[in-house]
Amino acid sequence: MSLPPWRQVQPVQTMHTAYNTVGARRGFEAPQAITHTHMASTTNSMSLSASSEPKPVPRAKMTWSQDVRDYVQRSFDTDAYIPGIEREEVEKKLKSIINNAAETDTLLTTNWAELPLPQKLIQEDRKLALARNSVVYGQGSSLTSNADRKRKSNDALSEGQDRRSPPPWRQTSNQNPLEDRLTFATQEQADRLDKRQRKLHDKSSKYQNDLERRKQRFQSGKLPWSSDGSESRRAENNPDIVPQGPVIGTCQTLEKRYLRLTSAPKPEAVRPLPVLRKTLDLLKKKWKEENNYGYVCDQFKSLRQDLTVQHIKEEFTVNVYEIHARIALEKGDMGEYNQCQTQLRALYSQNLGGNPPEFLAYRILYFIHTNNRTSMNDVLADLTATDKQQPAVAHALKVRSALALGNYHKFFQLYLDTPNMGAYLMDMFIQRERLAAMANIMKGHGSSLRIRYITEELGFESDHECAQFISDFGGDGLFTGTGDGVRVNPKLGVVLFESARAAAFRKVDIKGQI
Amino acid sequence: MDRIIEEFKRAQHDSSGYDLAATLSPIPPLDDGGRLYAFSKSTNNYAVAGDIRDALGRGRNATFSSRAETDAWVDVFVAYWKAVGDILNAEEAQNRRKFIGNEWTTAYDAWKDVVNALIKGHAAGHFPAWTIPCLYTGGRYLRVFAIKADKQTTDTQGKVAFTDGLGDDVVSSANKNEKLEDTARQLMRIFSLFLGDRSPIEDSRKWGIYYIANLLFKTHFKINSINLSKNILRTLHAQSDLPALERFPKAHQTTFKYYAGVIFFLDEDYIKAENYLTDALVLCHKDAKKNRELILTYLIPCHLLTTHTLPTSALLGPYPRLEALFQPLAMCIKRGDLAGYDAALASGEAEFVKRRIYLTLERGRDIALRNLLRKVYLSAGYEPPKEGDPPDAPKVRKSRIALVDFHAAVRLSMGKDGESLDQEEVECLMANMIYKNLMKGYISHDHGKVVLQKGDKAFPGTGV
Repeated sequence: MSLPPWRQVQPVQTMHTAYNTVGARRGFEAPQAITHTHMASTTNSMSLSASSEPKPVPRAKMTWSQDVRDYVQRSFDTDAYIPGIEREEVEKKLKSIINNAAETDTLLTTNWAELPLPQKLIQEDRKLALARNSVVYGQGSSLTSNADRKRKSNDALSEGQDRRSPPPWRQTSNQNPLEDRLTFATQEQADRLDKRQRKLHDKSSKYQNDLERRKQRFQSGKLPWSSDGSESRRAENNPDIVPQGPVIGTCQTLEKRYLRLTSAPKPEAVRPLPVLRKTLDLLKKKWKEENNYGYVCDQFKSLRQDLTVQHIKEEFTVNVYEIHARIALEKGDMGEYNQCQTQLRALYSQNLGGNPPEFLAYRILYFIHTNNRTSMNDVLADLTATDKQQPAVAHALKVRSALALGNYHKFFQLYLDTPNMGAYLMDMFIQRERLAAMANIMKGHGSSLRIRYITEELGFESDHECAQFISDFGGDGLFTGTGDGVRVNPKLGVVLFESARAAAFRKVDIKGQI
Repeated sequence: MDRIIEEFKRAQHDSSGYDLAATLSPIPPLDDGGRLYAFSKSTNNYAVAGDIRDALGRGRNATFSSRAETDAWVDVFVAYWKAVGDILNAEEAQNRRKFIGNEWTTAYDAWKDVVNALIKGHAAGHFPAWTIPCLYTGGRYLRVFAIKADKQTTDTQGKVAFTDGLGDDVVSSANKNEKLEDTARQLMRIFSLFLGDRSPIEDSRKWGIYYIANLLFKTHFKINSINLSKNILRTLHAQSDLPALERFPKAHQTTFKYYAGVIFFLDEDYIKAENYLTDALVLCHKDAKKNRELILTYLIPCHLLTTHTLPTSALLGPYPRLEALFQPLAMCIKRGDLAGYDAALASGEAEFVKRRIYLTLERGRDIALRNLLRKVYLSAGYEPPKEGDPPDAPKVRKSRIALVDFHAAVRLSMGKDGESLDQEEVECLMANMIYKNLMKGYISHDHGKVVLQKGDKAFPGTGV
C-alpha cells in the first residue's frame, strides 16, 4: 500500500543536483524556487519511483511539513464528515488551500493546527452563496401603465429601476468600479483586457488539467480513502451524468457569448448572481445606446443559461426574462419572445414577482394574432377575477371581445390606447383587421363616404395614410373628388376588400409558438 | 388463477371477444370482488409463467393447437399478473393516502406491458381478429392509469418542473401529461395495426378502428391536442377500404359522430359540426341521458349560429343542467336584451369556458342585437298610404329609419354600458349586421339614415 505523495516524502529539504533537470511540475502553481527545492528533496525518500528509477518524464514531488500532513489527515477523518459535502469536494478544497499556501509562500507560516477543515470552509462558502442569492436588490420593476400608445422597451427598462438609487449608467464611473472595466475608451485597451482574460483562462484550464492528472495518479495508487471515492469521481468525469446540485459560478467577466451546453458547465465559466446583476445593467445600457439586437439577444441567452445552471429562481430571473421578452417584442423576434413567455408563465406561477398582468395581456393579444381558439379558451379558463381587473388584461380582453363581435369601431379605439408594449403585438394583426373592417364598411354603406370618416374609424394617423392603404389594395378606382373633399365609393370596393380580407385571414405566420 | 383461466378457456371456446376481454380487466367483476387479489396471491414471480402454461393445458389438453399462440397468451397473462400486483399496490397506497414512490407510474408501466404483449400477439398474427376487444380493454385502462400516474407526479413534484441539468432556460419543457401523451402514442400503434390489417374484411381487425379512434379522441382532448384528432379524422376519411360507418357497432358510431362533431365545432365549422352532432343525437340511446346532454351542449350553440334558432323549453326540460346554462341566454336573445345577454354570458362564463362553448355563445349576441334592431324597425310603423293607392293596397313598412333611433334603442338595451356609446359605434354594429346578412339594406352615413330592404326582407328568416 502506497501513501499519498505528500505523506511519502520526507520533510527534509536538501538540494540534489542530479535531478535538477526534472522540469515536470504538475499541479501546483508554486513559485519556481520552491518547487525546485521540493523536487530535489527526493533522495532521502523511502520509496519514490522518481528517485529510484529515473523515467523520461519523471514526476515531481513536493514535501510537506508534519503540520500539513496532519491537517490533511484530519480532513479525511470520518469524524470530520459533514453530510452533504462529498469527498471529492473536500479533496478539491484541500488542494486549493494547500496550493494557495504554496503559492503565497505561507506553507510554513500557516497555523495548520487551527485552520478550519476544508469541509467547514465549504460549508461556510455555501452559506455565503445562499445568502448572496437571496438578497433582494431593490429592483422590483413596477410598470405603471403609460398613456403612450407604443412604448419602447427602453422605457420599460428604465422604469424597472428603483427610482431612489440612480441606475449604474447614470452614476459616474468611480461610483461603479466595474464600469471602467466594461466599456473601453480605446480598442487597444479592449484588446489588452481581452488578452489578459484569455491568459487567465488558459491558465485556469491548464490548472484544471493538472488537477485531473494528479487525481488519476492518486487513484492508481490505491489510496486508503480512494476506494469509495473512485466511483463518484468517474461520474464527475463523465459528461453524460448531469450534476444534481446547482453550479456555483466564479466567473467575473460581465459579457459572455452564448454557447449551447453539451456537458456540465465549469464554474469558472459561469457568472454568479452579483455579476449577473451587473451584466443586466450593462446590457440595458448597451441596448439603449447601441440598439444592437444581435448582440443583446446573444448576451441575454447566455445570461439565462447562467441563471439556469445555478438554479437561480427569484425576482431577478423574472426580470431578465421580462426584459428579454420586451426587447424581442420590440424587434419582432417572435421565436425568442415566445420562449421567454413560456418561461415567464411558469415563473409567475411561483409568485416570484415581476409583472404578470402585462405579460398575460401580451399572451391574450398573441392568441388573437394567431387565431388560436383552443389556447384562448385555455387562457380564459385560467383567468381570475383579480386578473380581469388589471388594466392591461382588461384592455386585451376588450380587444378580443370587440373583434369577436365585429365591433371594429371599438377595436380601433382600443388600438390607439394600448398599454405597455401591446401595440407591437397588435401591429401584427392590425392590417388584417383593417381589411375586415373595410369589407364591413364597403358592404354596409350605400353612399360615398368622406375619407376622413374611414381614417377615423380605422385608426389611421392621417387621411394620407388611409388613402395609401386603400390604394395599396388596388382601390384607386374608389376615390372621387380631390383635396379635402376626397370621398370613397363603397359599392366599388365590396368585392375588392372582401377578397383581400379572406386572403389576410387565411394564413397566420406562427414562429416558435409552444 | 384457475378461475380466470377457466373463463378465458370458455371465452376461447365460444370465440367471444368481449368475454375474453373481461378476463383481462384490471377491475374485478361485481360478483367476485376479490378476484384480482386472489389471482395475485395464487402464484409468484418465479412460478407465474409455468403456472399459467400449466393452467392453459399441455399436450393433448392444450387450449391452443399452436405453440406460438400459447406462448403469446402466456406472455399476456404473465404481464397481466405483474400488472395486477402493481395496480393493487397502487390502489392500496391510494386508499391509505400514503404514496411511497411512484406507484401509479409503476402500475402504468406494468399495464403498458400487457398492452404491448397484446399488440405483439396481434402483429405476429397469433391472435385471431375476434380477440380485439382485449385491446379495447388494454387501451381503455392504459388511459385511466396514465391519468392517475400523471396526477400523482404533479401532486408530488408540483406543476412546474425546473431544469436540473444543461438546459438554457430555468423551466424545463418536461410535460405534466407525460404518461397520457405516451398513452396517445401506444393507442396510435394499435390504430395503425388495425388500419393496416390486410385480412379479408369479415375477419379483419379494421372493425376495431372506430373504438380506438374514439379512445384517441378522448385522450387528445384531455391533453389539449385536438389537432392530433384532426389528423385521425383525415386518416379515416382517406382510408377508402374501410367499411361504411353504419356497419360498425352503434356504440362506436355514436361516440365517433360526437367527437367528430365537437372537433368541427371547435374548428368553427358549424355546419359539419351540426350534421355530425345531429347524427349522434339520433343514434344515441334514449336513456343515455348523460351522453345526450353532452351532445346537446355543443349542438345547441351550433344550431343558434347556423339557423338562429333557440332551444325550446321542451327540449331543455329533461336536462336541468342544460336549462340552467342556456335558458337565460335564450331569453335575452329573444327579447333583444343586450345588457341581460352580457350579464348572463358573464355569469356562466366559467362553465362555458370549461365546456369550450364560450367563444361560440358569445356570437349569439349578434342575434340578440338583430332582434333589437328588428323591434326598432317594427315600431317605426308603416308608410302613410299614398294618394291614388287603392284602399285595400297592402301596407308598406317604413324603410328609411334614422340612425338616432337605432342608437337610442341600443343605448337603452345596453343599460349602464350604453351610456358612453357613440353613434359611430352603432353605425359600425349595423354595418356588421349587414355584412353578416342578418339585416338587408344599407347605411346612408351623410343623411344619418338606414335604408332597409322592402317587401318583408329586411331581416331574413324572421318574417319581416
